[in-house]
Amino acid sequence: MELLCLGLNHRTAPVEVRERFAVSTPQLGAAASDLATLADATEGVVISTCNRTEFYLAASDARQALILLEARLTLRESLDAGAASHFYRKVKSEAAVHLCRVVSGLDSMMLGETEIFGQVKQAYQAALAAGTTGSVLNRLFQRAFGVGKKVRTETSIQEGSTSVGNVAVDLAEKIFGHLKDSEVMILGAGEMSRITAQSLVSRGARSIFVSNRSFDRAEALARDMGGQAVRFDEWQQALERVDVVISSTGAPHALIHRADVEKVRRARKFRPLFFIDIAVPRDIHPDVAEIEEVYLYDIDALEQLASEARTRRQLQIEHCERIIDAELAKLNLPGT
Amino acid sequence: MDRWFLLIATLLAAIGGTWGMISVHRGTRSHWTVAWMVAVMLCQLGFLSVRGQLRTACPLHDLGEMLVFLAWSLTLFYLLIGPAYRISLLGVFSAPLVFVLQSGALISGLFTVSPQRDPSPNLFHSLHSATSVLAYGALALAGVAGIMFLVLDRQLKVHRLKSGLFRNLPPAHQLLVSLERLLWLGSGLLTLGIVAGFLMPPTTPLHSHLIVAMAVWVGYAALLAVKTLRGLTGRKLALAAVAMFILSLVVFARV
Repeated sequence: MELLCLGLNHRTAPVEVRERFAVSTPQLGAAASDLATLADATEGVVISTCNRTEFYLAASDARQALILLEARLTLRESLDAGAASHFYRKVKSEAAVHLCRVVSGLDSMMLGETEIFGQVKQAYQAALAAGTTGSVLNRLFQRAFGVGKKVRTETSIQEGSTSVGNVAVDLAEKIFGHLKDSEVMILGAGEMSRITAQSLVSRGARSIFVSNRSFDRAEALARDMGGQAVRFDEWQQALERVDVVISSTGAPHALIHRADVEKVRRARKFRPLFFIDIAVPRDIHPDVAEIEEVYLYDIDALEQLASEARTRRQLQIEHCERIIDAELAKLNLPGT
Repeated sequence: MDRWFLLIATLLAAIGGTWGMISVHRGTRSHWTVAWMVAVMLCQLGFLSVRGQLRTACPLHDLGEMLVFLAWSLTLFYLLIGPAYRISLLGVFSAPLVFVLQSGALISGLFTVSPQRDPSPNLFHSLHSATSVLAYGALALAGVAGIMFLVLDRQLKVHRLKSGLFRNLPPAHQLLVSLERLLWLGSGLLTLGIVAGFLMPPTTPLHSHLIVAMAVWVGYAALLAVKTLRGLTGRKLALAAVAMFILSLVVFARV
């Protein structure tokens, strides 16, 4: 038996091609069964996420099975001959290494992301339930999950937040701990502030206040997020109670000055206040950061932290690959 | 025997603290800190138990014993509060202070090598000494939490967030909550200690250390009153907790 993998991902195929091969989670088992009916193939697993679709097979002749699988897919999706360029093909040990890289998040769009581990596990479980796995793929996937865990434990491939929104949320948690007692105010109903606020809510933030020059837009966003709209000339009153302020208005000059915060310090009993300024030009005057209990991060500071985390993850790739090679070398996986 | 217990406790605190700091520097959590501190406390208990038997009273008769009792109290509160609030790093910060206190106790002259039996043990005297030193343990730990907050606050302010220490420090809010609870606990115990001090036999003169202890109590009570009624920034509360603990050590010089 030989192991093989045929796949396409965000690097090799645009979304309009990827979406044609996407398999919904409930259909993963059926797709694996279909795969296993291919001539020569005895086992099959289909992995499908928003960024990739991969077919893993155990067949007596890997190269022959690849040709058959490609032909079947091309025919089924009525693709032209050029579509083949979107596929990558891995056989034997290459396929095993590839799966370990996928499970470890090394092949993901956001390097080191952890969601892929669960998605691959789900795909494997579906194939297992459909009875399309055997000695080759069972050992391969079990090994890949072990390697994935080892990579995440022994390296810092998943450490740090790599997006501005996540950096802001992590900082909020470093300041306030659990966010269940934290209240958030959004100034300006822009997309970026909505995404950041949503992340805060998903991590437990208690309530959201939305203030915007157009009250209708503030109301619409507040409704979307289960929050409360505040008139733009009343945001200073709301400042007395909130813990996090996310600002992204289109104002041409600073909107929040030191005096605005000084005014409410006493009423706030000097509790910590976290300002996230993602507007350009900045909405919050840099002087505000001089107030003792204020933590101010603008878009550059957040982006720099996200970029540093991305760089740190990049530096870990070699270490991760060494672990994968060492772990796979320990075993004589069938099909490789 | 008592000296051996103290020596081992001091060495364990030094090793535990250094181990923890190396872990933190590497950016990993020191899972063994709690175990090291449990071992430190067992040795401290061994020391205090031997001294207590020799004295046939609470072993708080010389400055050396008081420093060890204070180190034990600090360790005890860390073990009660640290793991429960998931602030195991507090142990890494506490271990050096335990080491310093116990090393101080080992300095010749502070520590009576052959302790005498207390000829007239008095309940209120023992209660005064024990609750006061326990109070100092809680207040010392509040100071340690204050230092941790100041480090975290500084890192958050200047956006220096790459260090292993930053990753391992608990959230600022959690540190401030622990600090405030320790201040309340320490002040409560100090109140008991002072009341017991006034209930000591009338033949005992009003020691100058009792006056200093009252001044310390007033200081902490004022700090808590301001924090509760008016509010205080985290930095000011932390600075006050650290400064007041250092100043309050004057009490020991007056013993």
